[in-house]
Amino acid sequence: MSAAIEIEGLFKVYKEVRALDGLDLSVPEGSVFGFLGPNGAGKTTALRILTGTARPTAGGARIFGHDVVSATNEVRALVGFLPDVPGYYPWMTAEEFLRFAGKLFGVSGAILDERVGSLLEMAGLAGVKVRVGGFSRGMRQRLGVAQALINAPRLLMLDEPTSALDPMGRKDVLEMIAALKGKTTVFFSTHILTDVERVCDTVAILDHGRVVRQASMHDLKREGHASRILVEVTSGAEELEQLLASRPWMVECSREGEIVRCITSDVEAARRDIPTILASRQMALIRMIDEEPTLEDVFVEMVGRKA
Amino acid sequence: MHGFAVFLGKELKEIVRTWRLFVIPGIMLFLGMMSPIFAEIAPGLVSSIAANEAQGIVIEIPPATTVDAYLQFNKNAMQIALIAVIIATAGAVSAERRAGTAQIVLVKPVSRGAMVIAKILSNWILLLVATAVSATLCASITAIMFDSSLTAEFAKTVVLWYLLAALMVAISVFLSVLFNSQAGAAGAGIAIYFVLSLASIWGVAREYTPAGLLGAGDKILTGVPDVPVAWPVVTSVAMAAAVSALAVWTFRRQEI
Repeated sequence: MSAAIEIEGLFKVYKEVRALDGLDLSVPEGSVFGFLGPNGAGKTTALRILTGTARPTAGGARIFGHDVVSATNEVRALVGFLPDVPGYYPWMTAEEFLRFAGKLFGVSGAILDERVGSLLEMAGLAGVKVRVGGFSRGMRQRLGVAQALINAPRLLMLDEPTSALDPMGRKDVLEMIAALKGKTTVFFSTHILTDVERVCDTVAILDHGRVVRQASMHDLKREGHASRILVEVTSGAEELEQLLASRPWMVECSREGEIVRCITSDVEAARRDIPTILASRQMALIRMIDEEPTLEDVFVEMVGRKA
Repeated sequence: MHGFAVFLGKELKEIVRTWRLFVIPGIMLFLGMMSPIFAEIAPGLVSSIAANEAQGIVIEIPPATTVDAYLQFNKNAMQIALIAVIIATAGAVSAERRAGTAQIVLVKPVSRGAMVIAKILSNWILLLVATAVSATLCASITAIMFDSSLTAEFAKTVVLWYLLAALMVAISVFLSVLFNSQAGAAGAGIAIYFVLSLASIWGVAREYTPAGLLGAGDKILTGVPDVPVAWPVVTSVAMAAAVSALAVWTFRRQEI
């Protein structure tokens, strides 16, 4: 599969602050790609460089093979972008803004009419005559996604599209993004893990300006899955926790009632040892399973702190 | 300049649909209408104030003429209207940056040069229409209240004022690229205008630079023969073009 975005050794330094620290990233074409990281990790800086509104200090980035610094118009024609806080001309209506955006891409006539109509419908803004200055945040974000699609882009880049929204607004925007699966490549920056879990198929986790892990959602969870074991006993979980905590393969152990959760460095050794320990202490086992981690578990493990 | 025509269309529509329609045209219309009236009532006002303040002294002020009406217009335009033009255009680019519209627009195939030049050109168009309407109004009222002489001289004066105002628009838009604050850009623009006014005292600057446009109108209206305006006109046009180019060059190098 070809890459929609390729970033190699990207650095961005603002005076004393290193916003990007040798960022490497490859976004496969056709994916819904979650660009995940805590606040200040460098997500917006990376997007600003990709959209040509900021210049890299060193390194390079290409979109569909075009260099983002030198081939700005070629890149822009292929991309739709929604900034984290989209700005509009308050005197325009949603339809006027979409028409204005479309004309900037050279779209006109019947094609523009058709796209404006269908995008207003998709954004739930058809028939809204209120000027954009009077829109709610949710309406502004939905218009933001719509205007980013006016050129039928091969790549849609969204910067924190749900971070300022209430649950209903988030749901609407995520449904719009989910509906684009298979139609275009979506590159979606966020610090909200559940949003990524809901819509993305591939994820990169960014921390301190560099990617600490890039994988498909499936692989990411499977890796975590292989190292997590849940043990539930009828009684004696406290003693079991102490016994397991001293094993050489144990990384982290926690208990909740009669359930003990283990993160292991050697899952095979853990699978052999745990039944032996249970038998030696005559503990009755209810269940012992490989536990599927949430994205939050993986994220915390990678980044080393709570998101 | 990708997207220039579309962006210029948006700028012109914005003028019609926002406060921008009322500020400069409103001030210009007021000046066009009131300048002949002020000229007419000023001698009477001065005489009555003088009579009250210095009793027994009789001050005779000749009645106002067509020249006074046009001089009044030129003076008001050079002071009130030009300062208003500087303030109104000082946020042209910085407002787009602050509102986030620059970020959403400039990621589309529209060049930064197109945005800056569309801003300058749309303000020149607005100013041209406002100036034409205002000057026509002033000339019409003057013709009714006084006479219709000196129309050609007045037209020349208005053209010179427009050139100076157009230069100040270019400077102001350039400052709005440099400064994020409209107040900062307006302050710098007014300071530049003040320096230009001071420079007009110096003979060489008056003869060869845009500073020469400041006093030329009054001289033409009062019948001074052969007022040298060629160099000030040429340097004003050249400077407006150069400042516009500098604004584009600067904006292209900025991060948004």
